[in-house]
Amino acid sequence: MKTGIEKHLLHIENLSYEYERLELVLKNISIDVYQGETVGLIGNNGVGKSTLLKLLVGLLLDYEGTLEVVNHPMVKENVNHIREHIGYVFQDSDNQLFMTTVEEDVAFGPRNYGLSNEEVEKRVTKALELTYIEKLRDKHVYKLSGGEKKLASIATILSMEPDIILMDEPSVALDPKNRRNLINLLNDLEQTKIIASHDLDFVYDTCDRVLLLYEGEIVADGSAKDILQNKELLEDNGLELPLRFQG
Amino acid sequence: MSNIDNSLKEIGKLNDLQQRNQWLNNIHPLVKLLLTVIYILLVVSVDKYNLGQMLVLAIYPFMVFNIGDLRLKEAIYRMRLILPLVMMVGMFNPIFDSSIEAGIISMVTLMLKGIYTVMVAYALIATTSIEAICYALRQIYIPQILVVVILLIYRYIFIMGQEADRIMTAYKLRAPAQKGINYKAWGSLIGQWLIRSMDRAESVYESMQLRGFRGEYAYASKAKIRLADILYLIIWIGVFAVLRFTDIVDVIGGLFI
Repeated sequence: MKTGIEKHLLHIENLSYEYERLELVLKNISIDVYQGETVGLIGNNGVGKSTLLKLLVGLLLDYEGTLEVVNHPMVKENVNHIREHIGYVFQDSDNQLFMTTVEEDVAFGPRNYGLSNEEVEKRVTKALELTYIEKLRDKHVYKLSGGEKKLASIATILSMEPDIILMDEPSVALDPKNRRNLINLLNDLEQTKIIASHDLDFVYDTCDRVLLLYEGEIVADGSAKDILQNKELLEDNGLELPLRFQG
Repeated sequence: MSNIDNSLKEIGKLNDLQQRNQWLNNIHPLVKLLLTVIYILLVVSVDKYNLGQMLVLAIYPFMVFNIGDLRLKEAIYRMRLILPLVMMVGMFNPIFDSSIEAGIISMVTLMLKGIYTVMVAYALIATTSIEAICYALRQIYIPQILVVVILLIYRYIFIMGQEADRIMTAYKLRAPAQKGINYKAWGSLIGQWLIRSMDRAESVYESMQLRGFRGEYAYASKAKIRLADILYLIIWIGVFAVLRFTDIVDVIGGLFI
């Protein structure tokens, strides 16, 4: 965990969230995420990983506690401004890609922010280059493979040039080659990233810091190396060691 | 492959046609939309007994199909559900019109009106993406809310189709010997379909919101109108005027008699 003079992009203090005011999903979460960090969010099913991501992009607003993104409190009035700084890659790429072609989908965000045609074109080209899918530019979204859809989904976010990228289960349904491509891509990106995943090997390969969630609480916050090799800690919280450490 | 999957693939093929680098595809969407609207108004305004003029007006849809490299056979296949309805318009005219002859003429004229209208609408959507059509609609001051509704319906139809296909496939795989769907399962299947479609539609909408969508749709096509677009528009309006306001059948006949 970074401390000291680094600039924090996310500040969360005593954050709690109740689903439909009935079930407490997140309890007193307190974390700071700093510029350039790649944070893995791990935990078994239903611990609140996706809920936390949705809170960070303002899809859920009725929380308790403090939640600041790029120094702006997450309240209704700030949501639009905050979303210019934060991109969210959905677990299911079919929900992320809704335009006809890859190019149109990647251009959707920048156009909505009123950028000029030249700037939109520049950003689309850059995003497609970063994700190595220039050749898919004119391809129909419905014709893409699972791996291509995932890369295109990431390109739709990169074209908005966010400071923070949130990803929900990015390695799901990817074959080994596409998984490796995605790992390389994420390691090349300079943005701050928060990756929620069950794939602990993937988290180990991409994240330098890991937050372990259990029953809505953060039970461990430390380096990926320390947490993902701690068998006892993982097993106590419903997880297993990454495959590579299982011997 | 299920019927739903086939239908989704048909939409996909239509999208393929829209993306071709054909001359007509590259004509500005506003020009194509205006010509389509003007032509439909023109066709509708023709007297129901003026069969000669209706036959001459076929020139536009057939020329557009030719310029746009669209296959008539494919178009008829895609319009197979609409065309019978169109053909039914006026089928009772021979009975209810002033005489059987007049009724047959008015029936054929009405059928041609329907067929031409469907053909030019098909030519428009086969050479212009939905985003470009919506952009053109905004250019002629169709309210934003209507245009966004059109776009979202187009998106959500696809989503509902995909969900229906998944549910049907799952059902068939677990009831292989059964023909169709048991009536007892219809309730839960339709319920599942609606809930899943709504869930997905909500996720898509969230994805749009997260990328700056605030109800004002930013259209992909913002190409400037070129000289070729203006010439194409003017030439066709000229042709329409000649076809509509001169008795072209008489003129052509006079050349030979």
